[in-house]
Amino acid sequence: MLIAESLLLLSLIAALYLLVRGPHAWDRLLAYNAASNRIFVLLALVSVISGRHSYLDATIVYAALSFLGVVILARFMERGGGHR
Amino acid sequence: MISDVLIGLGLVFLVIGTIGILRFRDVYSRLQASGVSDNAGLSLILIGLIVRSGFSGDDLKLGFLLFLLLLTNPVITHSIAKSAFVRRHGAGDDAK
Repeated sequence: MLIAESLLLLSLIAALYLLVRGPHAWDRLLAYNAASNRIFVLLALVSVISGRHSYLDATIVYAALSFLGVVILARFMERGGGHR
Repeated sequence: MISDVLIGLGLVFLVIGTIGILRFRDVYSRLQASGVSDNAGLSLILIGLIVRSGFSGDDLKLGFLLFLLLLTNPVITHSIAKSAFVRRHGAGDDAK
């Protein structure tokens, strides 16, 4: 289980690196989506392993809010804002 | 036992997809690699966590999380691809 947590954390660091590096705005949006997906699966993994049941509710709320944020940012950039 | 196999298979897909989104050259290829790692890898990890947690009340929440992931991830992929395509972002122009 330590292997799973550390591989998820490495994958999250890779997604955050793409969020900093990505040449265009859509690369950064994709990297933000990938990073938030990895964050909530890591939260669910920590919750199941360590037995803290209240983390799962926070995980569900985080997943719903990150979906809303990514879709709203994509619609905003579709209508011509936020990128060069 | 079964949950370890499922989580391991999910980690394999996750590593493959992460290498893909770091190495590919434009947004559309990265969206495809992100579909591999997020839909296959993270869903397999969540299914493994459902098997591991058993009938404890956590499995319904994890199942709802899996349902939410499988429902919202194709919507997000379509939304980003449509946003890049409408603004005439061509394929292959990753060179700044």
